[in-house]
Amino acid sequence: MGDPAILTAGLSKSYGPVRALSDLSLEIQPGEVFGFLGPNGAGKTTTIRLLLGLIRPTAGRAAIFGLDCHRQVVAVHARVSYLPGDAGLWPSLTGEETLHLLGKVHGRVDLVYRDQLVKRFNLDVSQKVRTYSKGNRQKVVLVASLMSRPDLMILDEPTNGLDPIMEHEFRGCIQEAKERGQTVFLSSHILSEVEALCDRMGILREGHLIEIGTLSQMRHLSALTIEVTFEDEPPDLSGLSGVSLSRVEGHKLIFHLSGSVKELLELLGRYNVTGIISREPSLEELFLSLYGESEPVGEDEGVAS
Amino acid sequence: MLQAETVRSAKSDRSVWDFVIARHMFRRSISSGLLWGTVFGVFVASSAFSYASVYGTQADKNKLAAAFGANVSTSALFGPGLKINTVTGYTAFHIWLTIAIIGGVWGISTSTKLLRGGEDSGAWELLLAGRTTRRNATAESLLGFTGAVFAAWLVTAAITVGSGRAPQFHVSAGSALFFALTLVSTALMFMAVGALTSQIGASRRQAATYAGWILGASYAIRMVADSGTGLHWLIWVSPLGWVEEFKPLTYPDFLPLVPVLCFTVAVGGISVVLAARRDLGGAILGDRSHAMAHFALLESTFRLAIRTLRPVLVTWGSAVTLTGLLLGYVAYTAGQTLSNSSLNGIYAKLGASGAGVKVFLGVSFIVLAVMVAFAALGQVAAIRLEEAEGRLEQLLSQPVTRTRWLAGRLGIAVADLFALGILGGTAAWVGVAFESNAVSFASLFAAGLNVVAPALCIFGAAILTYGVLPRATAVVGYGLFAWSLLVEFIGGIGAMNKWLFDTSLFHHMAVSPTVPPNVTSDLSMMAIGLIAATIGCVAFSRRDIQGR
Repeated sequence: MGDPAILTAGLSKSYGPVRALSDLSLEIQPGEVFGFLGPNGAGKTTTIRLLLGLIRPTAGRAAIFGLDCHRQVVAVHARVSYLPGDAGLWPSLTGEETLHLLGKVHGRVDLVYRDQLVKRFNLDVSQKVRTYSKGNRQKVVLVASLMSRPDLMILDEPTNGLDPIMEHEFRGCIQEAKERGQTVFLSSHILSEVEALCDRMGILREGHLIEIGTLSQMRHLSALTIEVTFEDEPPDLSGLSGVSLSRVEGHKLIFHLSGSVKELLELLGRYNVTGIISREPSLEELFLSLYGESEPVGEDEGVAS
Repeated sequence: MLQAETVRSAKSDRSVWDFVIARHMFRRSISSGLLWGTVFGVFVASSAFSYASVYGTQADKNKLAAAFGANVSTSALFGPGLKINTVTGYTAFHIWLTIAIIGGVWGISTSTKLLRGGEDSGAWELLLAGRTTRRNATAESLLGFTGAVFAAWLVTAAITVGSGRAPQFHVSAGSALFFALTLVSTALMFMAVGALTSQIGASRRQAATYAGWILGASYAIRMVADSGTGLHWLIWVSPLGWVEEFKPLTYPDFLPLVPVLCFTVAVGGISVVLAARRDLGGAILGDRSHAMAHFALLESTFRLAIRTLRPVLVTWGSAVTLTGLLLGYVAYTAGQTLSNSSLNGIYAKLGASGAGVKVFLGVSFIVLAVMVAFAALGQVAAIRLEEAEGRLEQLLSQPVTRTRWLAGRLGIAVADLFALGILGGTAAWVGVAFESNAVSFASLFAAGLNVVAPALCIFGAAILTYGVLPRATAVVGYGLFAWSLLVEFIGGIGAMNKWLFDTSLFHHMAVSPTVPPNVTSDLSMMAIGLIAATIGCVAFSRRDIQGR
């Protein structure tokens, strides 16, 4: 088996007394699309900058395709493309000149594919960067990061500023990259995007990786969302073990259940139940429940009584 | 009732003059106003006390006045010397032009940064989303800047009034207040000029360049007016000429206040009108939004640097060439008046000896040295800006090493500094050659290279700072430059401890072409600069990339 696309071991970064990233150990295989989630300031961009060798780790190490991210930076970058969250471009260059420059500096460009991307993203490349809107600037860096067909794409908030049509186009590009066997490291706030594209995902909180796995693995760790409709007033289920975050909407009771459903079904048998819906939590609900451990998001919802 | 509410609603929809933007701009510019006000005040006090201590007797003062008073060359370079056998007359003569130029640069820098720079960064979009209009916002900004100039005037005036109470200076409070006003008037005028060019140019860099050209033209016109060529009327065409005509502390004249105020109000007013008539982010000299692609200088990071720096390189090259030509052109006339004057004694203190054209050029080449050093710091600032604005991150995430990128930038900068030195020396020779062949090409070529040494040393120190503490690059670089200039300036009249004088890098530069360049000193400064830059390069390759 070859080297992992990304391998970090105990990777940490501190800025003075502030610990931006703590002991990150991660392994991402070639061909995988990996989602990297976390709120602002969780350490996502710090991780990316460490992987690219733009900043130096306080402790630990990182490697891309077996190459050390700091000692073999040129060899690493030859196999990687990067889309920064807030791209700095040269205002006096046109879009076409910018793409030409970045292609020449990288040294690996599929010109036919580049032109296809320009058309797909409906980008006017004769315009100067200074006059581009935020979305068009994002398109330039997006095309630049895709056009070299790199082995690994590191994307930091890639759809920031794109309209829904372009977002859809972007998803298509990532699917195609995945089919070609390219690896994608996708840092995003847009949970639906991560849910739709990623094989696995990791969730960061305050510099710590608190969860990693496939969406289904994560769902097993979390509660089911259950909606029960009663003929009369809903009963009080607060005594039932595993029930949380409940709310009442008329005759409907909505709650989360972790653990066995046997006890719940026995209890519901005693009431006139007219409907029951059970579904797995969305990534957004998972994300909120994970963050709810430190920030009690469900407190104001109350438990049905 | 309904009608009253409708009227109130309509009023609230209109822009309002609540001076929020004026206060905001005042807050953004007040710290630099206080800083420069203090520097101007210290310049005044130190110049006065230094003169009083060096020229202790009236005989010494008279000898100095006899030399400078009717000297065309010094008049062209620094303005006419009036009553310079007095502390007040000498102080006014000694510092007014330097402070006027610094004030002008401050004015341009502040207004272009906050107006055009604010548009470039998107800050103005936020401001204009509030209850204001482009016209009101620009007018309020100018009001805020005026407040900062007023603060600078207050500080300069306070120091001048305070030091004027000393018996050796002895200036009345009224004279001190007027003197301080004349010193900050250039800042006021060029803040308005910066506001105007912010409407004309498509970026902050363009706006600052246009305004810089106006300041340069103002200096050149004043220089011609004072060069004894019968064109003295030109003094009334130049903003710097108006400041000269104030003649503070000697023959004070309030009349130039009329053109100064009219110019400021007119230029500021035009800026406000233009701001109202153009789109946010647009420009009167519209930058083309579309352009044909040119790939010639986009093949590598090194070529990219040449392409992005090209306008700056051309501007500095033109400015140095023009200055060299002007210095050379007035050198012959100036040199004629030196041979039998006691100025030789003054120049001897600066290291020059002999007489004539060479002595004049030897002393005035400090102007070229200052320009080349300033260009060097501009290169370092551009390097730091690439990193601060995120463009470097884009390049360093490609297969490019940091050392290769920075070495390329350093190579361009060093080549540019040598080119500027050679251009300055060669242009001065061409200027001299119009009138005589008193100075050989070889000696002026060498004098041109001579001015590169302190610039390279300052450049190296700035790159070292960039490598270790990138966010302190501007403070350390410009601080070292300002310190060297201040010490050279005050030390030039002899009232300074030798060790302190030695801390000025300009002091270690031989007064060429009067005397041959001091090769040991020049090579030492260059070596120190290159070693510091190399250490900076190594430190840069090992540190984190840092944004703003």
